[in-house]
This record gives sequence, C-alpha cells and structure tokens, in this order.
Amino acid sequence: MAKVFLYPTTSLILSDLVARFGHSPLSAALQIRERIQTPGLESPPLQITPEEPKKGLKWAAVEVPSGVRGRMSLYGPMIDEAEAAIIINNADFSFGCMGCARTNELIKYLVRKRDIPVLDLEYPRNEEEGVEFVAAIKRFLDALHGGSA
Amino acid sequence: MTTYNPRYAGTVTKYVFVDSPEMTPSDLAIRAYEISQGVMIKETCFGLQVTGREDDVNRIIDLLRALDPSHIFVKDRGFSPGDPRRCRANLGGARPGYFGHEFEMGLIRNISKGLESLPSRKPGDIPHPPAPSTAPRLDARDLKKIIESQES
Amino acid sequence: MTRVRIAQLSCGPEYSGVQKEIDEAAAAVDAEIFFPDIKLADIRRSFDMFGLDVRSPDLKLAIARAKALVEGRVEADAVFIATCFRCAEAAIVRNELRRYIHENSRLPVVSYSFTERTTSGTLLTRMEALTTIARRRALLAREVQQGLTMGVDSGSSTTKAVVMRDNQIIGTGWLPTTAVLQSADEAVTQALSAAGVTRDELQAIGTTGYGRFLVGEHLKADLIQEELTVNSKGAVFLAGTQAGPSTVIDIGGMDNKAISVQDGIPGTFTMGGICAGASGRFLEMTAKRLGVDITELGPLAMKGLSRKVPMNSYCIVFGTQSLVNALAAGSSPEDVAAAACHSVAEQVFEQQLQEVDIKDPVIMVGGTSLIQGLVRAMEELLQTKILVPHHSQYIGAVGSALLASGFIKGE
Repeated sequence: MAKVFLYPTTSLILSDLVARFGHSPLSAALQIRERIQTPGLESPPLQITPEEPKKGLKWAAVEVPSGVRGRMSLYGPMIDEAEAAIIINNADFSFGCMGCARTNELIKYLVRKRDIPVLDLEYPRNEEEGVEFVAAIKRFLDALHGGSA
Repeated sequence: MTTYNPRYAGTVTKYVFVDSPEMTPSDLAIRAYEISQGVMIKETCFGLQVTGREDDVNRIIDLLRALDPSHIFVKDRGFSPGDPRRCRANLGGARPGYFGHEFEMGLIRNISKGLESLPSRKPGDIPHPPAPSTAPRLDARDLKKIIESQES
Repeated sequence: MTRVRIAQLSCGPEYSGVQKEIDEAAAAVDAEIFFPDIKLADIRRSFDMFGLDVRSPDLKLAIARAKALVEGRVEADAVFIATCFRCAEAAIVRNELRRYIHENSRLPVVSYSFTERTTSGTLLTRMEALTTIARRRALLAREVQQGLTMGVDSGSSTTKAVVMRDNQIIGTGWLPTTAVLQSADEAVTQALSAAGVTRDELQAIGTTGYGRFLVGEHLKADLIQEELTVNSKGAVFLAGTQAGPSTVIDIGGMDNKAISVQDGIPGTFTMGGICAGASGRFLEMTAKRLGVDITELGPLAMKGLSRKVPMNSYCIVFGTQSLVNALAAGSSPEDVAAAACHSVAEQVFEQQLQEVDIKDPVIMVGGTSLIQGLVRAMEELLQTKILVPHHSQYIGAVGSALLASGFIKGE
C-alpha cells in the first residue's frame, strides 16, 4: 500500500479512487483532523494558529505571505511523506485549502522535485474521458508497490 | 488566549457521496441507519457523513459502497458533522470546501462511467487521457497561409 | 443595539491563524463576520463578468461574493476585505474590490493586509469605524454644530479639546499627552477657560482618539467614537466641503489615516501604524536633531530642496542616520528639513494613499498639517493643491464636538 499525494488535496474523486484501488490517499482532511483533535490554543476555524506559518518557513521563505506558509505547514509534511502523486492540472475551482495559486504552484513543484512517480491528468469532460481517467489511475496505482500489478 | 479542548477526539468522519439513478441520498441514509450500530450518521444533500471509531466507520462504508459501487464515493473529513466552525448556519455561507465538492459532483458521472467500464475494458487497452500541454498550437506556416488568404 | 453584519471577503486568514482575531475585533464592537452565500455557478459567472483573471480560487470566490453584495443578492451592513501581506495577486484584487464596492454601493469598506502577527487590537478601530458608519449614518449626516458642546481628542502624542457654540469654535486646549486623564483634564480646562464657560454649562461632550474610552468614561461623554469617522467629519466641516467627495489625510504621532470621504462619511479608509518612519515622530526627531522647535521645521523645509539630501531609508533610525550624515557632509538644515518632510510624505503616499481613491479636495489635518514643508511635499507627490483648514490640528476634537451636539437633550 503506497501513500499517494493528491492534487487537489481536497479532491473527493482522487481520494475515493486511491482508497478504492487499495492505496492510502494523503488528503488535506487528515491534516485538518489532526489539528481539530489536538488540544492547544483555540484558533478557529481550522485550529491553525499563528505558529503554523512559522512552521511553514521550512518550505517557504519569510518574505512569502503568511497564508502560503500556513498552508505549507499542512501540505509540506504530506509531500515529504508521499510515495507517489496524482495531479489534476485544471483544478481551478478548488477553494479553501487549495485556494491560493502561489501555494498550489509551490506544492506541484515540490512534488515534482521529489523522485516519486507522478500521474498528470485533467478533469474528464465527457464519459469517454472518464473511462480514460479512471483507467489511467488504475494503471498508475497498480504499478505502485502493494498495487495489484 | 483560550485553551482548546477538542470534542470527538479519536474519531474519524468520512463523507459518503451518492450520485446514482438507483439510489437517493435518503435511501442511502436509511440503509446506513440500519447497520450503524451506534456510529453517528448524518444525512446531507450529497449523501452522508459517518462519524465514529475508524474500524466501525470503515465497516459501514464497505457495506454501503457494496450497494452501488460505481456511484458511491468516499473521502475523509477533518471536522465532525455540524461543527459550528464549518456550519453554514454560523458562517453565513458555505465553507470553501463545499464548492470543491459541488464542482467534482458536477462531473462525477464521468467517473462512474469509468468505474462501470473497468470489468469490460482492460485499463491497459485504454488510451491515456488528453494532457493539457499536448494540445497542438497552430503552425506558424499555416497561420501565415490564413493571413495571406485573407489579404488576397 | 442590533448587530452589524460585516461581510468578509478574504484569502488566507484561516491559514495564517488570524481569523479568530478578525472575529474578536468584530465581536468587540457588537458586529459579526459572515461569508456571503453563493453557488458555484455564481462564482463562475461573476468571476467571468468581473473580468480580473486571477489564478487563486479563494480570490475568485472573493470577487464573486463582492458581486453578490453589490448586486444586492446578499445583504450586509459593511464589508471587510482581508488578504495576506506581500501577496501581489491579492493586493490587486483587494484594491479593485474595494474600489468596485465603493463605487457601486453604499456599503462602507475597509481593506487590510494581515500577517500572522495581526491581532484583534490592530483591527479594532477599523471595525469600530465600519460599524459606526453602518449604525450611525443619521448622526454622521449632521453638518451643523448646535448648542454648547465640547470635543476631546486624546491622541498618542497630544491631547486636544475644543468648545463650540452655535457652529463656532469658541475655545481650544492643546498639550502633549503624558498621563492620559491628567492631560485630558488640562486640555479641557484650557478650552473652557478660553471659551469663558464652565463644565456645567456644556450640553454634550464627545471623545475620540486612542484614549477615547478612558477619557470618555472620566468625562461622562455622550459620544465616544473612533477617529476615522470623527476626523472625516471634522475635516469636511472645517474645510467647508461637506457635500460631495473629498480625501482626508492625517499623519499622526503613531499612525496615519487616509480616508476617502463622500458627503462627510468615510467610504474607504486605511490606517497605517507599523512604521515610525512614516509618522509625526520622525519629524519631531528631525527637528530635535536640527535644534529647532517642531513649529519651525515647516518654514525651514519650505526654504530647502529635498533632492539635495540622499536618503537611503524611510526608517526612523536609519533615515535619521542619513540626515545626520548629510548634515556632517555639509548639507544645509533647510535641505535636511525638506528631505525629512519628503521622506514621510513619500512613504505615506506609497504605502497608504494607493489604497484609497484620491479625489479633490484633498484635506490634510492633524498637528503635522501645520508643517508646511510636509504639506508641500505631499502636494508635489499628489500633483494637487492641498487644503489645510484653520484649526486643522484640532480636527478630532472639532468632529467630536460637532457630532456630540446630536446628543443634546431635546434634539
């Protein structure tokens, strides 16, 4: 079973397919859950405190906006942990966790910089592309360690 | 500085989305209640949220998925259902993540089609989907020809 | 009091750990933050129609929410726009949305760029102004002072008091702020004595400035109000430009305000207070270094040319160092004074005036507006003539006295 980084990390489709085909999706929800379930100082809504943008300094310099660094404190550890990644490149309407284009550019770059298998896709526009999309993900996941290939 | 004490620590919450000609979200909810055995089930406009110990949640999800495998989709959620920090009633509007779901649910039937076709069409035989960078640009020589034809 | 509903248009605060600070600042002035409810289809359509092709989804969402507010599909009393400090994409959106809402609705707007260090205290005055504009339009519409009233402006550098009767200023008091209450009492005594009236005769009292709550309680004030709305009112009253648009610039001891005013009511405004190099303090330090009184700095600067003195920094420490070096290298005190004025004006111009729409007449107020060199430097930067009304240093106290007359019993 491989840990697969998803882009967008909030994607229902990717999260479902990765789990369905027997691997472990690294989704934003897991990072948020960890914060929501850990006691500390109150910082609604996401329990991301002003300390998190400082942790984000590991992935982005101090002159990078706080929102980028705060988001990187969520995604940085996931990217470091990932054994493979699936990227949907036209995810233009992913808000909130994926709401910042600069963070998203940095995430994709850091994923590509790691020496892990990456599958690049676009959202399917019709049923035939849907068939190709699902098949491509299945092929990709089956070839990973713990996959069925 | 207020101290934060989490509720529902040690639980997981998963979304179960359904988009099926055979099953409505409330059908799904009825089936879920039947097998819930104390696990929290919350009905939503897209389907359900299931909250409880991870093993219990996974057991219920496996049973639910089996009802209509190509039309039921699952993902993790960070918050428990009805958390005031995410609830539309408190925020005035939907949490940002909601729009992402709305977007993906708009094209989920394409994914269902892909899942349905898996037994009959081997993934190895299906071409790779189009990638954004592969869309060919108009060749400059062709463009030149077009310009010339317009000028004449 | 009904809760004022402030619509938040933002990118990043929940990931910077500052959403709680925004919520708390709003709650402190009995307001609540909410997020306009729209659908995905609205986001796509509104974003396309608005025409600013940004990449960040959260900024697209902010644009769509702004359109829903302007088109009346979602109701709000005020708008708060917040994006990350140092994000160019967000800064463009922030500015354009502020302008769009200001020009197409009556909603008061404030925009702010935060860091992870932003606190609710920093946001409080802005939120208070937003709620005041939403709640007290009728009071802010007042153009004439009636009866016998007093206004007290307890500022970070100086405390001012003004007594007014029947739309005329009849007494003023002014002194540097030391102990807040003591300074207020002394300013009040000065103003009452100059006016020839007693405390008991006053029909209403208003307070504003940093010490407004403390002094307001002490004087049993009828009106305690932040300086953004009060100074706008005072400025257009003194300048005689109550109707139509105007721009108010107040370079203060600790922070600066730039306010875009319509009919005496702020539409958009910015407050800056991070850098001492863009404040009256910098000019005080320059005057001290030149061995002149602060009142002499202005006339001195008028005789100098700022460009003759190289300044490498806006900073109150390093900028002052540049001035000292220039003096040591033979620059004239006149040129150094002019350079200091130019430095402050340029920093306010670059960092704050970009965030409001400059519409004539531009009115400079507050103690620093008496430093002619500073006004001239600002005129050069804005390429327009600046109005400095008589009594401009008493702006907050005048605005308070004017607005307080709305509280005279039987009014």
